[in-house]
Amino acid sequence: MDKKRIFIVDDESGFTRLLKLTLEKTGGYQVLEENDGTNAWRAAREFKPDIIFLDIVMPKIDGGDVAQQIRSDPSLSRVPIIFLTAIVSPGETNSEIGGFPFLAKPVSLDAITKCIREHLGS
Amino acid sequence: MISPAPARKHRVLLIEENAGDVVLLKAMVDQGPNSRFHVVAHASRLEEGIRRMQGGDADVVLLDLSLLDSQGVETFVRAHAAAPDLPIIVLSSDDGEEIALETVHRGAAEYLVKGRIDQHLLHRALRYAIERAQAEAELAHERYLFQTLLENIPDRIYFKDRASRFIRINRALTRIFGLERAEDAYGKSDADFYGAEHAHDALEDEMRVMETGVPVLGKVEFETMTHGGKSWSLTTKLPLRDRQGKVIGTCGISREITEMKEMEDQLATERNLLRSVIDNLPDLIFLKDAAGRYLLDNAAHLRWLGARDSSEVLGRTVFDFFPDEVANKFHRDDMEIVESGKPQLNYEERILDIQGNERWTLISKIPWLDDFGKTVGLVCISRDITEQKRAQENLKKANADLAASREELLNAVQNLQAAHNELRAVQLQLIEAEKMKSIGRLSAGVAHEVKNPLAVIKMGVEFLSTQDFNDEAVPLILKDMMDAVGRADSVIMGLLDFSAPKQLAVKREDFNAIITNAVRLVRGEMSGAFEVEFDLQSHLPMLKLDAGKIGQVFINIFTNAIHSMGDRGTLSIRTYSKQLTGVGSNVGDSRSESFRVGQTIVVAEIDDTGHGIPDDKLAKIFEPFFTTKPTGKGTGLGLSVAKTIIDLHGGTIDLRNLPDGGVRVTIMFQS
Repeated sequence: MDKKRIFIVDDESGFTRLLKLTLEKTGGYQVLEENDGTNAWRAAREFKPDIIFLDIVMPKIDGGDVAQQIRSDPSLSRVPIIFLTAIVSPGETNSEIGGFPFLAKPVSLDAITKCIREHLGS
Repeated sequence: MISPAPARKHRVLLIEENAGDVVLLKAMVDQGPNSRFHVVAHASRLEEGIRRMQGGDADVVLLDLSLLDSQGVETFVRAHAAAPDLPIIVLSSDDGEEIALETVHRGAAEYLVKGRIDQHLLHRALRYAIERAQAEAELAHERYLFQTLLENIPDRIYFKDRASRFIRINRALTRIFGLERAEDAYGKSDADFYGAEHAHDALEDEMRVMETGVPVLGKVEFETMTHGGKSWSLTTKLPLRDRQGKVIGTCGISREITEMKEMEDQLATERNLLRSVIDNLPDLIFLKDAAGRYLLDNAAHLRWLGARDSSEVLGRTVFDFFPDEVANKFHRDDMEIVESGKPQLNYEERILDIQGNERWTLISKIPWLDDFGKTVGLVCISRDITEQKRAQENLKKANADLAASREELLNAVQNLQAAHNELRAVQLQLIEAEKMKSIGRLSAGVAHEVKNPLAVIKMGVEFLSTQDFNDEAVPLILKDMMDAVGRADSVIMGLLDFSAPKQLAVKREDFNAIITNAVRLVRGEMSGAFEVEFDLQSHLPMLKLDAGKIGQVFINIFTNAIHSMGDRGTLSIRTYSKQLTGVGSNVGDSRSESFRVGQTIVVAEIDDTGHGIPDDKLAKIFEPFFTTKPTGKGTGLGLSVAKTIIDLHGGTIDLRNLPDGGVRVTIMFQS
């Protein structure tokens, strides 16, 4: 069985590295981290992820724009994208931003794995 | 002039010393069939004779010059001086004829020579003497009258010859000419005394008078004198004729009328002044006699009557100018004044003018009295006050309008006040919102910068948690680190929440349902022995609220209550609605600003049995980052967020300690 391919885009390299280590350590995930949002689309085309975690607030390019690029690429248009954001309050009942689901930082590993399972059904 | 024959005999006084002559003369005088003479007395001495003469006993005197007490001419002179008007016939002797002639020169009527006298001669001499004396007396009287007139009359009288030279002037004219004697003027003419112009005019007049024989009567002249005087005079010039009727000059009389003329001029000036005053007055002024005929009116009244000048008005009555019914009314009013003799002052009357327009007038009518106090007419002054009347009415209307406007204005001010209050509230909200926006931007930045490191730490701690460690303390340390991350995260969350854009999603909501839902959400926090008591009024009015935000308010309040109670306690929740009946009766100070008497409000009271809030902290509980909880237990933002949300809804939140411990939170909304 192929490992699920998880693509993490976040300018916080400490976070991406730890998330990659943690997810890979738990078993069945192959993780690619990308700290430069402008490279995200190209990297995704090569990596062909099953799910993408995408930080919203990044230098150079906004997570929303990256999501648009990926969505507009026919080869990637069906890949689920989960936003990661630091700027959200618990009062916000809406669990979507711009039509995408999101997770609030600091996010727990539980929330990540639960989210992966929900979207990839494994 | 001959007097008619006297009825009585003429009395003769005989002054004769010679007794024989006395008898002889007496006989001659008295005798004769028709003698008109009679010797009334006889004196033999001059002294006695003079006494008789002065006694008025005689009409004529027969005087012998040779007397015992007087001789010759002297005798006559003395006798004549004693009674100058009494005619004296001198008796002389043959040799005294020259002396006798001398007496005639001196005024004796006649002289007779003794011895040559007969009765006929004597009677004729007596008759002539008396007649001449009478004629002279009359002439003297005439002259005296004329002289008196001429010399005493203040009018100036003159006589001139054909060349208009003075031949006689009276004393008044002498004085005017500045002369001492009238004679000094004789032979001179007007040019010597008057200015050239007057002298010339006078001469022309006189020439014409002499030529035509037609007098100049009562001519008013302005005279300038060569010595500088000026005067007005009234002059009459007549032709002067001799006995044959031939014009030989002129005579005239003139009277100075300067003073009269000046008075006349002054009167005329005053009359003109008065006339121009009354003609320039806008008021109508007129005078009527007792029959209502106009005697005087001014220009304003003429215009009012539509007349061109006074001649169209004077002597006429109101009936000549107005239709009968209008005229009747005017006339009746006027006659009432005349009959009563009482004035009517300053009364207003609505009348129709000559064109039939309605006018308002202010009228005063005063009876006009003659010198004996009898009413002979009336004076009327009336003023057109139509414009004032209109202005008055307009003013009245304007006042009413003003009162109405004032009412409107008061309402407007009240509305404005209300609007102002609302606006101020909105302004405060806007300021608050702007503040919050700044805080929001700051918070978002902080959240981003803090949460990313927190995410790394959290992920790190979770990674480490999957590792095996020899030291048993490591898992405890990792848990503390995880809790610390959680606390830091919740502070950031609270901050974001506090500063999040406050836009309400308001709908009609069931207040009780929001509360029960919030209770359900905090049940998880109640780990100890907690009770929740509900006393919720059913059928509360629906409120316009943002259910999510209000829910969060209750979660915050319940969370605070639970934290303050530790591991056991009772949370009592009560809701009810009521109508505010009066400020102060059941509403606290802070709330009275938000609600007004008569409004229905919905109240929620949440009581806990916790430790309460120290009194010195009560004032600060709604300030951000203020907390009474132990360090690490609270963010200090819960009540700030709650208050912000309640304020946005226009409600109030109030928190106070209960007497038996614990806290009551009271939330009110306007229904």
